[in-house]
Amino acid sequence: MENNNLNNLPKELFKPLVRKEDTSETISKPSRTFGQEARRTLLKNKPAIISLILLIIIIIMSIVGPHMSEYGNDDQNLSRAKLPPHAPGLEKISWLGFDGTLTDDFKGSTVEEAKRKAIARFDNQEKFIDFKVKSKGNGERNSAEVEATYHVYDAKGMGDQYFWLGTDHLGRDQWTRLWLGTRVSLIIAFVAAILDLLIGVTYGGISGFFGGKVDNYMQRVIEVLVGIPNLVIILLMMLFMQPGIMSIVIALAITGWTGMARIVRGEVMKVKNQEFVLAARTLGTSNGSIIRKHLLPNISGIIIVNTMFSIPSAVFFEAFLSFIGLGIVPPNASLGSLINIGFQNLRIYPHLLVYPAILISLIMITFNILGDGLRDAFDPKMHK
Amino acid sequence: MMVNKTEKILEVKHLKKYFPAGRKRIIKAVDDVSFDIYKGETFGLVGESGSGKSTTGQTIIRLYDATDGEVLFHGENVHAKKSRAEKLKFNRKMQMIFQDPSSSLNPRMTVLDIIAEGLDVHHLVKNEKERKERVEQLLEAVGLNKEHATRFPHEFSGGQRQRIGIARALAVEPELIICDEPISALDVSIQAQVVNLLKKLQKERGLTYLFIAHDLSMVKYISDRIGVMHLGHMVELADSEELYKNPVHPYTKSLLSAIPLPDPEFERGRKRITYDPTIHDTSEEPKFREIRPHHWVRCTSKEFEQYKKELGE
Amino acid sequence: MSKLLEVKDLSVSFNTYNGEVQAVRGVSFDLNEGETLAIVGESGSGKSVTSSTLMGLLPKPAGIIKSGQILFQGEDLVKKSEKEMQKIRGKEISMVFQDPLSSLNPTMKIGNQIIEGLIKHQGMNRAEAKKKAIELLDQVGIPHPEIRVNQYPHQFSGGMRQRVVIAIALACNPKILIADEPTTALDVTIQAQILELMKEIQRDTKTSIIFITHDLGVVANVADRVAVMYAGKIVEIGTVDDVFYNPKHPYTWGLLGSMPTLDAKDEELYTIPGTPPDMLNPPKGDAFAPRNEFALEIDAVMEPPMFKVSDTHYAATWLLHKNAPKIEMPESVRRRIEGFAKTGKKGGE
Repeated sequence: MENNNLNNLPKELFKPLVRKEDTSETISKPSRTFGQEARRTLLKNKPAIISLILLIIIIIMSIVGPHMSEYGNDDQNLSRAKLPPHAPGLEKISWLGFDGTLTDDFKGSTVEEAKRKAIARFDNQEKFIDFKVKSKGNGERNSAEVEATYHVYDAKGMGDQYFWLGTDHLGRDQWTRLWLGTRVSLIIAFVAAILDLLIGVTYGGISGFFGGKVDNYMQRVIEVLVGIPNLVIILLMMLFMQPGIMSIVIALAITGWTGMARIVRGEVMKVKNQEFVLAARTLGTSNGSIIRKHLLPNISGIIIVNTMFSIPSAVFFEAFLSFIGLGIVPPNASLGSLINIGFQNLRIYPHLLVYPAILISLIMITFNILGDGLRDAFDPKMHK
Repeated sequence: MMVNKTEKILEVKHLKKYFPAGRKRIIKAVDDVSFDIYKGETFGLVGESGSGKSTTGQTIIRLYDATDGEVLFHGENVHAKKSRAEKLKFNRKMQMIFQDPSSSLNPRMTVLDIIAEGLDVHHLVKNEKERKERVEQLLEAVGLNKEHATRFPHEFSGGQRQRIGIARALAVEPELIICDEPISALDVSIQAQVVNLLKKLQKERGLTYLFIAHDLSMVKYISDRIGVMHLGHMVELADSEELYKNPVHPYTKSLLSAIPLPDPEFERGRKRITYDPTIHDTSEEPKFREIRPHHWVRCTSKEFEQYKKELGE
Repeated sequence: MSKLLEVKDLSVSFNTYNGEVQAVRGVSFDLNEGETLAIVGESGSGKSVTSSTLMGLLPKPAGIIKSGQILFQGEDLVKKSEKEMQKIRGKEISMVFQDPLSSLNPTMKIGNQIIEGLIKHQGMNRAEAKKKAIELLDQVGIPHPEIRVNQYPHQFSGGMRQRVVIAIALACNPKILIADEPTTALDVTIQAQILELMKEIQRDTKTSIIFITHDLGVVANVADRVAVMYAGKIVEIGTVDDVFYNPKHPYTWGLLGSMPTLDAKDEELYTIPGTPPDMLNPPKGDAFAPRNEFALEIDAVMEPPMFKVSDTHYAATWLLHKNAPKIEMPESVRRRIEGFAKTGKKGGE
């Protein structure tokens, strides 16, 4: 050991340490509630925050969007049917697709034949069609290829009219319908999720809290319900109810709560055997207070996360139902029914499918990312 | 500690707690256990895992309903049919301290609310101000600071959380506190702090303790009398000194001989005694018999004679 | 006795979300052939991190060895790659963990878990390995080993499982066995059996054992030498007689004083106030100073080096500096030690 250094230490240092205060029990870090910790963790999760912002934008647009155009949901006008998107400003950028033109490739044995096909297709409006020859052809079948661009708005004398996302086969403005459809889909999803939550939490909570025979019976009931395919239940419901928002919401609520119930039951059973619940029982706290003060706060994280994840599945399920014709029925719009219409016109008028598809994908992805972020935020082990 | 051995605060008579396990099997966690606790004493209940000691404590305080037998608190049956008000009465008289500091406090509640829960349930305070003052008094009584009231359990160490649990139990001014392995999950130096605190509180407030643990040296240190449990039965019951000096039941002897002491010389020479359950006499059902004054052993009549001879009486 | 393992100035830290936690700060000790060294400490002392580091089992990327050497048979284990460490683990250095439940694979037969190591390290074929596995089970005291070798972990009790874990650890005759709190989760009578087993095995195979625990009684039972750790450092090290009968560090006094003995009288237990420090921001100077009633001014300024008490006994406390006031161990601790001497060889009870 470095004896020289040790020997040179000043003698005053060897007096007993004078302590200023008893610091042995103080806590130095600032106090934060669980909610504050969760919020901090969430805010540090960039993808989740981006998703949250996107979602808020989508929700705002679904409220405000339809009012931004002068067209209503059901303004039909066959003379302006099947128009491509035409947006002011963006029309200058040709590749974005908002310039009010329809473009397609036509093949023929000769360039002339291809051009003829194009003209026939595009309302015989030769004056408003631009041709670009892609391959000259040599007389063989489909060897010549021509790309035709049809300035349909000009052809109809509507060059100063704008349909930002185009129109469908009945001439209805897609921008309006898209946001109205989003609104409907989101409402259905939220209401269904809330009903899921209420039914599922109550059912699962009772089952888990009381345990024993009560739990046994309640779980067997769930198992029977889960065994019945959702579609069968919905078809049965369609027999009794008019198709529309109400029927879909009820259908979703009836079939969707079982997942939440099982999860809540598991959590309740876990928490109710923790020592702090036993302590509350020995203190004499009533069952109601135990559920309120001890159980619910400790399972709220799981409930919120689960609800977050059930919303995109409700959106998707509604879209699926509407797509197969069991859900929202024309003339009402929902994302699913819009996709249905778009699907039928996919080859020729892709814009009818693309925008609703993008929107539904965005909604589902953002909810999932946000749900993941919330799950991390509510897990105390992940708090940074 | 001199204990007034005339006033019984708790009488446990032939307590049984059975649990069904699967279709046919029954687990006899507590199988005919009887003992009394006198006011002001610390009764230690010691045993290894599966002995039934924790289940005994939880059944006494009625976290479990007894399968059979009686628990009398000041003569009143704890397990009889009771109205909510009557049950609440017992909740004030008997309280419990738990083992695991990480799960014995609700992570979502502040320390203030945790300690004040008992005050709220039994309406022991009139307003917010009084509630806060009482909690602060309790915090100081257990060696914590007033400022800790606004904090959350995860901000405290294990030993501090145990103190909060003790403050919570004290809030309703109980007579008997059942301590279910309160120090097993703590570091050695913190165990000493908590044990000293328990002893101090006992002196100050005249508390009676049922101290359940598996660490015989700590149990012996804090207890006046000790009951040794094995597989649901109480096999021996005596004053702490007596149990240590004159253990009679073979299981007690093996338990004592298995405890390592921080004394290397002693440990080098130590010969361990193993317990072989098959050596017992199976001619009759063993009963709890008093072999010396205040010293009871669970044995058959034949074994009784044998033990007496070993003790030299 | 020759030196099997030399740990020199080992420092290990963890990178956590909150910053760097210095778990081990400059630890040095030796392990001789055929001896049992106990490392004793409470939570946060760094004892488990030390043992994980010896085995190269630090969780990555969070755990990093900041400095120091671990010299085993002349080679520095710190510098070894994962592949090289795999050759050493199980063969030269083995480990027994605390929880027998999670140490064994619940879906694998016991026999296969032992055979795994034998085939990999000793190059045996299955038949030879199975024979050896049965021998090992017998050696660790499992009755009917030829039947039990085909059973699954859930068919064994806790104590039995721990014996199996020891069998697996010893399968390849390692030079060093690291036991990290192997008996903490067991009942006291089972603990006594396992400790006896380990001592017996050491007598037979001359394996060196590093025994990590927080229980001083276990240390007295099983160890030849003991190192006391606090806040990532060794504060006292020596033979068990040195440390238990002549402790020099106030933390050791505190530990010894806070354990009740079976014949302690009615007095209060001597306690160390407060709680172990936060290793995210280790205090300046001696980490034990805030809880040390015998702290000197210098404790708040400089960390004490190791002072020599005898050839076998060292303690890191400024109280051993020649300028320090003469402070003796507290009354209660001294009386306790004298009480031991009086009862003498009372082991036959």
